[in-house]
Amino acid sequence: MDGLTIGDGLKAISAALAIGLGAIGPGLGIGLLAGRAMEALGRNPEARGPIQQNMILALAFAEAIAIYALVVAVIIVFVA
Amino acid sequence: MKGLLSNPKLLAIAIIGLLAILVSLAGGALGAAFGGGFLSSPIPLIQLPAEKVVGLGPFDLMNTTVMLWAAGLVLLLLAWLATRRMKEVPSGFQNVFEVIVEFFDSTADSVAGGARHAGRRFLPLVLAIFLLVLLANWLGTLPGVGTIGRIEPVEEWVEHRLHYKEDQIKDMRKEEGLPVLTKEELHEEALRAVLEENASQEFVVFDGSGALGIVPIGRGEDAKVALRDVIDIEHDDIHYIEKDLHAGIVKRAPVDADDPDKYADLVGKRAALLVPFFRGASTDLNTTLAIAIVAMIAVQIWGIRALGLRHYSGKFIILNKGPIQAFVGFLEAFGEIARTISFTFRLFGNMFAGEILLIVMAFLLPLIGIIPFLGLELFVGLIQAFIFAMLTLVFGVMASISHDDEEHTEEH
Repeated sequence: MDGLTIGDGLKAISAALAIGLGAIGPGLGIGLLAGRAMEALGRNPEARGPIQQNMILALAFAEAIAIYALVVAVIIVFVA
Repeated sequence: MKGLLSNPKLLAIAIIGLLAILVSLAGGALGAAFGGGFLSSPIPLIQLPAEKVVGLGPFDLMNTTVMLWAAGLVLLLLAWLATRRMKEVPSGFQNVFEVIVEFFDSTADSVAGGARHAGRRFLPLVLAIFLLVLLANWLGTLPGVGTIGRIEPVEEWVEHRLHYKEDQIKDMRKEEGLPVLTKEELHEEALRAVLEENASQEFVVFDGSGALGIVPIGRGEDAKVALRDVIDIEHDDIHYIEKDLHAGIVKRAPVDADDPDKYADLVGKRAALLVPFFRGASTDLNTTLAIAIVAMIAVQIWGIRALGLRHYSGKFIILNKGPIQAFVGFLEAFGEIARTISFTFRLFGNMFAGEILLIVMAFLLPLIGIIPFLGLELFVGLIQAFIFAMLTLVFGVMASISHDDEEHTEEH
């Protein structure tokens, strides 16, 4: 690979760090959320519909944070 | 397992499926490492901004705009089909639309407090957002999106960067007090700078001749050359460089130490980039920002309608309750802007990431291997459209409830 500078390397590292670190929080959040939803489902199986719907909505919120990190990583790689 | 073996039809389907998976594994970039790779194509250039399809006077028509218009037209067509012959007992398209409308109607009512028709005034915009975003997301997974397009020659690619560079050099020389260049000198300077900066920019080597160019199949990433293999960047004579630039043909095969003949047949072919005619509408920040702004303005209007301008603005400007409450009001106002940005990036990020996922998967596992990921994209497109619509609804309901009501309900 010729023509690559230290700047390119730093870019790659920073993009990896951005998405890697940014995915930790949402990952934990999604785990907690789904875990609680399963608990609720175990206690109250009849409430399956609303629990599932609210869980997916809340999961999307948590996931959105990871997506922000992804957007930053993509911007670092393709734009900056 | 026993049922599978005794049923010849199922067995045949299973064997065909297995073969297809093996073929796509061997034909893709994964197989290329072991001597296969007969189906793999070069990864297209992934870029954040939308690409220009055609210029309309002072405006450029972007490929994402085309797709958004297409989504709107398809939505109109579906709505026309659904309401063309309305029946008491619905069937076909009418049924599908009734299910969607009824679902959102009941959801809006329950979010807006539970009374029948409580959520009616939010329904039109919420449904419009859901259907438009859903169609825009799903149309992005159609075959041909991102793969059929115009071939942008090297010359055009450089041209785009040239004007900007010329202005940059002009400004720089003015700042440093250097003498003003003539037009030709400036052009040469800018051209050399652009070429030098992008020397390792990769271009795809297209097969085919004339207007018809085909992305080479079976070479994978090897069918790419750097700009410096198309143009002699270091050459002293600028006219010589310009001739190379105009031709846009691979001059030199990239060097490969193991196999000197590996790239030899690329010489003489056309190097260019593919500018797709169509690209998923939600993979453009402008689209998602536009929808987010419409949604958030509608939320403000709902709030003002329900509470009155005085009462509603009292949520943001709190002057008579001390500094802490004043700051809370400021935070609330800032939150409205943050929500707009969050709307924008959630949809954009999900759909753009999905597009990259599909591109990479088409590269790794061509033909069959990407089908599960297409299914995933359909699901993500549905969920994101639903979330966009639901959040608009929830924000709208929250805006039309006054603070006094909230405190009142919290006491219970």
